[in-house]
Amino acid sequence: MESNGYSIVLEDVSKDYDKSTNVIKNMNLKIYPGELLVFLGPSGCGKSTTLRMIAGLEDPTGGKIIINNKDSRNLNNKQRSIAMVFQDYALYPNMTVYQNLEYALKVHRVPKEERKQRLEKIMESLNLSKYKDRFPAELSGGQKQRVALGRGMAKKTNIFLLDEPLSNIDVQLREKARDQLLQLHNQNGQTILYVTHDQQEAMALGDRIAVINNGIVQMIDTPENVYHNPSNLFVAKFVGSPQINVIQVEYNDSNLITLDGMKLISNYKNIVQKDKRLLLGIRPENISISEKQETESIPVKIDAVTDYGKFKQLTIKVSPEVNLKALTPSWNSNAATAYMKFDQDCILLFDKNTGTRID
Amino acid sequence: MLSNNIQAKEKISSRSGPVKRGKKMNIKPFFYLLPSGILISIFIGFPVLYTLYLSFFNWNLISPTKEFVGFNNYINVFTDPTNRQVMFNTLIYIGILVILNFVIPYLISIIVNFFIGKTKGPYKILFFIPSLFSLVVGAMLFSWILNPVSGPVALILRDYGMKLPQWTNSGSLAIIVICLITNWKVFGYNFILLLTGLGSIPKNIIEAAKIDGIPKWRVIWDIVLPMNKSVSVYVLILTIVEGLQYVFTPLNVITQGGPNYGSSNILYHTYLNGFVLYKTGNASALATVTFIIFLILLALEIKFVEGGRKHAD
Amino acid sequence: MQTNRKSLVWHIPLLLIVLVIILPILFMISNSFKTLHDSYNSILSLIPSHPTLANYITLNHQINLIRVTLNTFGMATLVTLGKISTGLLAAYAFHNFKFHGKKIVYFIFIATIFVPFTTIMIPNYLVISKMNLLNNMLGVALPQMCDAAGIMLFLKAMEKVPTSLVESARIDDIPERKILMNIIIPILKPNIISIGAIFFINSWNEYVWPTLILKDKGSFTLPLALQNYISSEGGTNFPLAMALATIMIIPPLLIYVIFQKYILNSISSSGLK
Repeated sequence: MESNGYSIVLEDVSKDYDKSTNVIKNMNLKIYPGELLVFLGPSGCGKSTTLRMIAGLEDPTGGKIIINNKDSRNLNNKQRSIAMVFQDYALYPNMTVYQNLEYALKVHRVPKEERKQRLEKIMESLNLSKYKDRFPAELSGGQKQRVALGRGMAKKTNIFLLDEPLSNIDVQLREKARDQLLQLHNQNGQTILYVTHDQQEAMALGDRIAVINNGIVQMIDTPENVYHNPSNLFVAKFVGSPQINVIQVEYNDSNLITLDGMKLISNYKNIVQKDKRLLLGIRPENISISEKQETESIPVKIDAVTDYGKFKQLTIKVSPEVNLKALTPSWNSNAATAYMKFDQDCILLFDKNTGTRID
Repeated sequence: MLSNNIQAKEKISSRSGPVKRGKKMNIKPFFYLLPSGILISIFIGFPVLYTLYLSFFNWNLISPTKEFVGFNNYINVFTDPTNRQVMFNTLIYIGILVILNFVIPYLISIIVNFFIGKTKGPYKILFFIPSLFSLVVGAMLFSWILNPVSGPVALILRDYGMKLPQWTNSGSLAIIVICLITNWKVFGYNFILLLTGLGSIPKNIIEAAKIDGIPKWRVIWDIVLPMNKSVSVYVLILTIVEGLQYVFTPLNVITQGGPNYGSSNILYHTYLNGFVLYKTGNASALATVTFIIFLILLALEIKFVEGGRKHAD
Repeated sequence: MQTNRKSLVWHIPLLLIVLVIILPILFMISNSFKTLHDSYNSILSLIPSHPTLANYITLNHQINLIRVTLNTFGMATLVTLGKISTGLLAAYAFHNFKFHGKKIVYFIFIATIFVPFTTIMIPNYLVISKMNLLNNMLGVALPQMCDAAGIMLFLKAMEKVPTSLVESARIDDIPERKILMNIIIPILKPNIISIGAIFFINSWNEYVWPTLILKDKGSFTLPLALQNYISSEGGTNFPLAMALATIMIIPPLLIYVIFQKYILNSISSSGLK
């Protein structure tokens, strides 16, 4: 089944609850049919509000939302063809698992036989057959989440909205749940919008990620680009763990020099910049550390070593003002000093005031 | 970069005004409010206005003609000696009701919440029982218990050489007994409301004060009572508003406002004027004055109680 | 240990209050089984020395006890069902819809709690008599079928239901009336039962409005019948009156025994803001 999804376009959408506070500010967004787009951002950034507006639960105070090339204001819920999974799952506590899945179909008079067939398949694939006669109160968090997912699937809609559906279940179960979701996406080809504040989840799931902050889409792109090629400092800082290192530098004759005078990079490519002062971002895994001095490597002090098993994180002091974190697969030395080198291709430069990328 | 574009766009087009809502007026809530709306309009809204209208006329509830008298009925409320006595009685009622139905239940709820450990349940259950019964039952019971000739209290007092006064012959004694009857009924109800308020004050605040070595009565006076203000103001206003209406039943069953209007109050006097003396205009003026008093209490309630709440949004 | 003894002292006044509150009820029940003679001579004995059903039998001769009880039951049932349905519908509108003027409408509804009955009784009497409903249960019930205090209680109960349930149903295109009937009402069942119990008990005991509307003895409810046995000039036959009162308190007491926990919870929640 190819491309069962509807496209969604947001045109200058804004939302304020009272006249003064803008939750969403003139948001423009194009979501392709059948893609899995993740809204990623800190809590209160407006990502859930955007989702709720697409779902029709809130009216935008400005702009319009276009679903499948039609203005959503002229669509009823059926024409929108939307299913949604809520953070608290919103299972009807007075109905069993089966009744929860069946309810909307029953109200909309889907024939009983078809209902049964459809639901049995879904319960099978989500491992729910055993629990079909249980009430939500008798289910674990993971089971509830699966019921909620199943209820959304049962409707066979063209758009599937998920609002932090995995934030209430155990970490161990999340990976499995993510796989289930991807499988579902591959099978049905619905357009999926997925809201999360968890960057790892966003990376694992999204065809594209829309990073949102303060009601503004900061960047929308593939996980790879969001990580390696962030459009601004917020995106760079929000995505990646441990966080990206940010150093105040001056650009001087194609050299990048820290404020206390240490030359970090020489012969850097030419950039056009009025202000000499910039912010340099470098992800911890792009700093290589070695015990031996190499050309252009910089001597540093090693303050701490944190062992994460898979890799080690070094806290290093470059100069009194500059402390960095670096990741390395192995570090067995006890030496207090070492030599550091930046991977020049991975250096990100940001405007000091606006935080936008300038390289 | 994309974010640049969006931010730039925002500067240009922000506050270009909200797009007009394409939504049709939502009429669904109207249907849900219709049954209660109709009932409230017919049986509360219209009557309030009609009573106001009637208060400017002399009428006897039956005659086909009403005589317009302007504000005479209102002037009467404050000048007629009987009306003045009734207004004065109303104040006495309010005073006694506040002591019996608010202050005492409050003291008891403080004792139950702070001084007796964990056995609150049985008291709640037992105190509430009379609230289940009609005030007619209460009126009957108290007229038996306090019967000056043959009641149990009179008999016990007789053994000690004392006599129970003929309280139905004295307006002020009758008022006290009538308030006691409503106290019997609403004590448990108000007790539970106040106790719930006290119980909802976070324990750790009280424990913190305890650790600081502050005496219990000071904790109650300085911390608990101020924190419980909204619940207590609610119960206080309820005590007056409901109390004045509750005393109607024992009044009608036992004294009919007597002797000589001595135990009547503004609500009962409204009834007497309306349905016994057939002075509808007088009754309506009294009723409107009562309504205004209650509206003032409503304003106080909103100020102290509803302020911190947001129901309808 | 010391604190225990201290708290024991505090129980004394509380137990005294229990005694003052409960003893009259026990004496009432006891007296209803005493002869008139016994009720005077052994007034302070709680157990009747010659228990008799005579008062109940006399009562049944004097008034049509079954008729009066059925009147009361019918009126209370009507009022309860009316208040539950109007209250649930209105609370649903206030809780789950956004509409213009909601705050004002809600305020007007709540303000009606503060309208004294004396302010509305004369016009209501006229309306009911115009509708030809004097001496009729419907005339008693109709003006009471909507209760803003009840709407508030239902609203408080609905606020405890997660909004996502209603939103989820709306996305699934479930009609509003089905959301109310199939989701909200089943979830609120305990609240509806306890609030309904409170409605029923209050209506069962209602005295003031029925005295205005019901003048014909055949249409009397229990409180009116009982009032007829109480003479303000003295000379009340107390054992007889107490027999009637005992019958009258049984239904509220039964309801309380069964739903005590829910009822007290609803009462408690009504005070908390």
